[in-house]
Amino acid sequence: MPQPQPLDRLFLALADPARRGMVEQLSRGPASVKELARPANMRLPSALKHLRVLEDGGVVVSRKVGRTRTYAMRPEALAPIRDWMRVHEAALNAAFDRLAQALADMPDESAESEP
Amino acid sequence: MSDVVHTTFVIERKLPSGPAHAFRFWSEKVLKRRWTDCHPDWTVLEDRFEFTPGGEETLRWRTGEGFEQSFTARYLDIAPGRRIIYAFEMSSAGSRVSVSLATVEFHPAKGGTRMLYTEQMAFLAGEEAMRMRVAGTGDGFERLADALAADVTGLH
Repeated sequence: MPQPQPLDRLFLALADPARRGMVEQLSRGPASVKELARPANMRLPSALKHLRVLEDGGVVVSRKVGRTRTYAMRPEALAPIRDWMRVHEAALNAAFDRLAQALADMPDESAESEP
Repeated sequence: MSDVVHTTFVIERKLPSGPAHAFRFWSEKVLKRRWTDCHPDWTVLEDRFEFTPGGEETLRWRTGEGFEQSFTARYLDIAPGRRIIYAFEMSSAGSRVSVSLATVEFHPAKGGTRMLYTEQMAFLAGEEAMRMRVAGTGDGFERLADALAADVTGLH
């Protein structure tokens, strides 16, 4: 179960359409700040600001080689959302346990195998 | 990525009676609520159950913390004793959290029924994020967790 803090930051990071565009682009492979700014017609400082939010949210990682900073998706970035779905699945399993118990408590009276 | 995250999962369960009897625990309200009710501390605001193709099931609660949760389903395909297909959405505090298509299949098996539950879910990450920003507090996650809990109760 993820702590509230990281999930909050993750959702905040993904709440902006410009940032989601960047994530979509990065999911196809690493890119430089310039390459990430171009599709949205964004100025570099503004692109950097968005990328910093994504980095703080644990969605992307960056690496500086020479004068170029390159961004890439962080593996496991979207794990909290997957965790959320695992909780959903666990909850269903608990409900199905109750279903099996309800059936055991109330067997089919038309079945002949009952005592 | 977009603001929707998709996932599909399958749960397989062995049930201790034949398909016709197991099916009744999905098709009859009293029997279904025997295993879907699991939040004694929540106030039920609405509980409708219309088990017929095109029919709706609605459950709406007020949680202990005082906000509303809801589960709304529409039954799309029903083959008595064999299959149920329904679509459902879950909302939390007025915001939709997820939309799913669920298929329940009942297969005769040794000792009872092999039940297959397949869910295809669209999780609305972006909208939830927006709502949490509007709320401006850190309790968004608890509400998400409650929405999930609601989801179980609806069962769904």
